[in-house]
Order: sequence, then C-alpha cells, then structure tokens
Amino acid sequence: MLLIFFLVTSSMDAGKGLNRQMPPPPQDQEQVADILESDIMTVVLDADNRLTLNGDTVSLQQLQREVREFAAVNPKHRVVAIKTDPQTKYDAYFQLQNAIVAAYKPLNCPPRVSEVMMEGDEAVSDEGKGGQP
Amino acid sequence: MIRRHFRRPDHSVPELNMASLPDLIFTVLFFFMIVTHMRDVEKQVQYQVPTGSEVEKLAHKGSVIHIYIGKPIDGSSDEYCIQLNNQLATVSDIARFVETERKGMSEEDRERMTVSIEADRDVPMSVVNDVKQALRQSYALNVSYAASERKKN
Repeated sequence: MLLIFFLVTSSMDAGKGLNRQMPPPPQDQEQVADILESDIMTVVLDADNRLTLNGDTVSLQQLQREVREFAAVNPKHRVVAIKTDPQTKYDAYFQLQNAIVAAYKPLNCPPRVSEVMMEGDEAVSDEGKGGQP
Repeated sequence: MIRRHFRRPDHSVPELNMASLPDLIFTVLFFFMIVTHMRDVEKQVQYQVPTGSEVEKLAHKGSVIHIYIGKPIDGSSDEYCIQLNNQLATVSDIARFVETERKGMSEEDRERMTVSIEADRDVPMSVVNDVKQALRQSYALNVSYAASERKKN
C-alpha cells in the first residue's frame, strides 16, 4: 500500500509541457547562415492571433499539414520562421509551437525554428534556430 | 441456548482495541508531511496554462526551474508579472535567478537543466519573448512550455 502511495504521489507532481530547445545567444561576430530562400517557410502570427502563411490566412490543421509537407523533403535543412507580434496571445503562440512539433513528430527530427518578433514594422534581430541542426 | 442467554444478559459493545491508533495517526501524519512538502513555492500569480496535444512529462524534478507569468493574485496590478521562487520579479532578475539555481544543482542536473515557463494563455508575446531572450543570454536553452494535455481528436 505504501508503495502504491509513493508511486501515485511522485508522478503527480511532475509537470507537463512542450519541450523546445532555444539557440544560444547571438554572438558579436555572427556568421550569416546561408539558407536558401526556398528552404524557409515563414509563418506570421499577428496581433489578432491570426496565422498567415505566404500571405494566406490558414488554420492550425492546415498549417500542420503544410509544415509536414514542407519539412518532409529535407527536415535537417529546412527552417520554419515564426514572426510574432508583441500583442500576440501566448496561447496562440503555444498552439503554433504545438502544431509544429506535431508536424515534425513522424519525421524523427527536431524542428528547426527561427523566431522573430515584430516591433512596429521592424523585426528585432534574432537569428535563432531552435533545435539542433 | 436460551439458558446461556439468560446467564449473560450483558449486551454492551466490546471495548475498542486502541493499540493500532498510534500507527494510524503516524500514517496520517506522514501522509500530510509528504503531500504538503511537494509544493514549496507559493503562487503569487494567477495563470491558466494552454492545452496541447504534444506535451511531455518533465523528466527530472531536480533539474527543473519554474518561471511563472500571470496576473498577481492579490490584484495589486493589472499587468502581467513574472514570479521567480517566491517573489515577483522583473526580466532583469532572471539572469541572477538562473545563476543561483544553477549553482545549487548537481553536475548532471546542470547539464539537463530545463526551464519550465508556466504562463497564462493571455500573456502577450512581448513578455514571453523578453523572458526567453533573458534565458538565452544565460544559456538556459532547454525550455518547456507548461501545458495540460489535450485529447487528440
């Protein structure tokens, strides 16, 4: 009985979450990553929590399918670029991350994600690439 | 049979054996000691984590640090606040916080250190992004966005 008690209590406290890896902080002499234009997929998440992919508004399911198709070709080199607005709700962002992780799941490769935040019309420089290459 | 009954008309309830009472009390005591010790951080912000379908369990309890983002419970302000350990903090405190937490960890915990960001659904990304940039600067690169599990549809 004690054993069961400990089993229950020890697993109860373990929080759950979506694990992501961030890139190391930007260095002073940053080498520009040479990624082909065709290897980047830009997803925009605006202040009204709308997802825009190549100019079209898409749903999460559509996006997940698109990302999977896009990444299936060359998951190690293709990068998903996320642009968020400072006013974007965290929930929308989280759902986007969730969809990307779900899309990459069958590929057996960590997603490569670059995140940029829009400030006005200017993008804050953040050449981040999530996940190991 | 009837005769025996007549001989012992005493129908009172037999006295309860109290010998196992201390054991019972100790069990309950230990139960509460263990259960209450699990949460050593008092939440000062209010938040509701998002739900996701791809959530995983946080692996090692000793290597996880928590950052809470939400509105203060006491209603002192309507802004979203960051809570580290037991007090409300600002983004500039994160670096120091990560350093002290890192020092208190064992060697192997340090390598797999994960920061669990427990943020409210309605937190604007500017706050979350500031936190993430601060974490990047202090090389806390494993993050986990806390969420509850949603059934796959």
